Amino acid sequence: MLNRRQFLGAAGGLAGAAVAGGGVWAALLRDSVEKSTSPGASTTTTTSTIAATTTTAAPTTTLPSGNRTLVVVQMAGGNDGLNTLIPATGLYRDARPILGIPETDLIEMSKTDYSMHPSLEPLGKWWEIGSMTAVEGVGIPQQSRSHFKSTDTWMAGGPSATSRSGWLGRWMDATQDGDPDPLRAIALAGGGPMLVGESSLATVIQSAEAFQLRTTDSTDAESLIAAFLATASPVSSDPAMAAAQQAIPATVDAVDLLGEVFSESASEGNGRGVSRADPVAAFNAAARIIDLGIGTQVITIGLNGYDTHSNQLARQSELLGTLATGVSGFLDQIEADGHAENVLVITMSEFGRRVGENGSGGTDHGQGGLQFLFGRDVNGWDVHGELDLANLANGDVPTKVDERSVYAEVLDWLGGPTDEILGQSFERIGVLSA
Amino acid sequence: MDKRSEIAWLARRAGWGLAPGELDELTTLGTGAVLDRLVAPDSFGVAPNESPWNGMKFAVDPKGRQRAEENLEALNRWLTHLATSPRPFEDSMAWFWHDHFAVSSAVVNYLPAMVAHLELLQRRALGNFRELIRAVTVDAAMLVFLDGATSTGRSPNENYGRELQELYTLGIGNYTEADVRAAAVALTGYVVRRRDDWKVGFVPQRHDDTPQVLLGVGGVHDVDTVVDTVLDHPAAATRIAGKMAAHFLGNADPALVKELAGVFSDASLESAPLARAVLEAGLAGESVPIVMAPVPWLVQAVRSTSAVIEPRVAVAMLRNMGQMPGQPPNVGGYPGSATWLSSSSTAARFSAAGIIAARTPDEAPVLAAAAGGDWADLADLLMRPDGFSAATRAALSDVAASTGGRPGEGRLAVALSSPDLLIA
Repeated sequence: MLNRRQFLGAAGGLAGAAVAGGGVWAALLRDSVEKSTSPGASTTTTTSTIAATTTTAAPTTTLPSGNRTLVVVQMAGGNDGLNTLIPATGLYRDARPILGIPETDLIEMSKTDYSMHPSLEPLGKWWEIGSMTAVEGVGIPQQSRSHFKSTDTWMAGGPSATSRSGWLGRWMDATQDGDPDPLRAIALAGGGPMLVGESSLATVIQSAEAFQLRTTDSTDAESLIAAFLATASPVSSDPAMAAAQQAIPATVDAVDLLGEVFSESASEGNGRGVSRADPVAAFNAAARIIDLGIGTQVITIGLNGYDTHSNQLARQSELLGTLATGVSGFLDQIEADGHAENVLVITMSEFGRRVGENGSGGTDHGQGGLQFLFGRDVNGWDVHGELDLANLANGDVPTKVDERSVYAEVLDWLGGPTDEILGQSFERIGVLSA
Repeated sequence: MDKRSEIAWLARRAGWGLAPGELDELTTLGTGAVLDRLVAPDSFGVAPNESPWNGMKFAVDPKGRQRAEENLEALNRWLTHLATSPRPFEDSMAWFWHDHFAVSSAVVNYLPAMVAHLELLQRRALGNFRELIRAVTVDAAMLVFLDGATSTGRSPNENYGRELQELYTLGIGNYTEADVRAAAVALTGYVVRRRDDWKVGFVPQRHDDTPQVLLGVGGVHDVDTVVDTVLDHPAAATRIAGKMAAHFLGNADPALVKELAGVFSDASLESAPLARAVLEAGLAGESVPIVMAPVPWLVQAVRSTSAVIEPRVAVAMLRNMGQMPGQPPNVGGYPGSATWLSSSSTAARFSAAGIIAARTPDEAPVLAAAAGGDWADLADLLMRPDGFSAATRAALSDVAASTGGRPGEGRLAVALSSPDLLIA
């Protein structure tokens, strides 16, 4: 696989550009393409963000939300919220005779009656400094017990399955300035449907392995990648053809900028980098992407396996350990890199699980779930929403908070236009500090 | 468009590309004759379309978990069939219906039932839409996919009742929540007997036969009355005509859709006359360029080049590009062009193009055209008789003929990965 620097070096004359940032080549190409077709057009988003990284005095006229990054962690399968944040009530002990977490193992949380699952221990410090909060009894009206349909509902940000767009894709559409910049939103091993928009583009990465410009052994990679780039310019007057052309420099750019990030983000003991097999790698990659300063505003991370119908104690313990290691490591890294004040992390899972245990040492699909939020802007030391175990809904945790209330605050934090994106105005319950 | 361009357009949009020499043959035949054979193959003695899965043995364990090997074989048979089908438009319409109903093998999780579902779509691809809906409503894969099999009079599941109206026929705004409930109640009682090869049964005790009011029509109580009531609604013809126009033409202009919906209604919801009207509209200039999805892109590239790709490699290509046959990501079907232009899809397409070029046989005409720098011939062989864009021609000219293992191989890879080949 050809490295961009080698390529630019070999091509000659552009080595300086390569040092300034791998995105320059594609940005230049896109810029010239754009100028050739629409002389009056404004600079592309990509160009401006790259310019911002090379300028020390960033313009202060931009919206305060302009350099913020949201990270959404999808816990696919339906996490059992009840065994994640454990309530101090006898009703919990009654409902979970086998799966109940022994009190002596619990991680205490200041200023609340809840305690954490022992595997969440790495998150304790974030709770104690007020950079972590949770929402109980969260769901979307009409969400299904089907993983598939409920996930669609959460990704879309509403009960209609007709819309193929995701709530964050619609935000990107609404806030797009100039050509779509696929690096604004990056999905790492999951969460991609949230990023689907009408006009905006996202970079969807299933695995580091797939995200490469591979050539067969016998061919001259440099020459083929150069030709691939050349097919993108001059740009066609047909919109579909132009879009297909513009995807090429954006891709060469993204592979160049991010290919190494993905492969080098492997967690210890796994050399493969971002993939379903190495969930922590995605958190490492997310922190590096933010530090690259390439204008990425949304990152999704997919974690799998939360569908614990059986053997839940061992499985959930491992899953939550991965989550805690990943999130805590990510938060440590962005603190160290100086980005902590601009980053928000939220989790999501398509539903909670039934309150009662099933006969297989597990729990079945339920309704109201649990969501975490991390970052300096969260309203910490408090668990929001309500876990009402005294009034179950058909044996499930009742849904007390519409997830779109949380989405609304997150979209406000990103700079909106929130109500337009969600189709209506949702109550803000104060999970974030205004 | 001249005759050759028209036939190439039909091959790209309504077929699965053409093998070397076929464009010459069909151009001799003429556009009208080609269209007739695509839409009404029975009338021209075209060999019947066989199921890609004919004779496939399913060794399924009692728990119904599909096995990886069988899944791979089924996918390979499907892709091979598409690249060689005697009735490409039937398969094209079957693919359209697959996208429309969006039943996913990941949800059904039982390969024989998924295959039976796809065979149903293939058999009825150009048939009557009312009959198609009736068959799909009580199809085992669909009953599992949208929970009909667990919907009882005591506890009706609204999943299918909703999607039948929202996605499969009328579109949002043409029905109410009460209509969703009414359809759900009337459709209760079906079961899928998983221990008996997923045979579909009807259990009267699980059915609520109370007459329902659906879309303002009373007396609705079973599959036939639900299907008839929904399909008698004028929005059904409009929605299907619009979706077909968008799929094949990239153009759902309201005036065009209205005209096509009229054709569909007048033909009592027969799909063939609608499909013919859609393609005729395309040939008459109602078509706009569209971004091809990975499956047709790959199949057409394989057909043009005669490349031989191992099943595992083909499946990896499609997974990396983001479209797995038989696995639409959600009930809305496969995503639109933005997804195929994503960076991961684009990178995967570039990588796939290199592999296809490398697996193209020595004697393939595309390789000779690429080696000789005959860009007009290369474009024509790749179903673009109007030639490549200036950008792609210039890019190809910068690649030395010797780049790649054999003469022309590198150039063929660039042509396959070019935007020209992504646009149909």
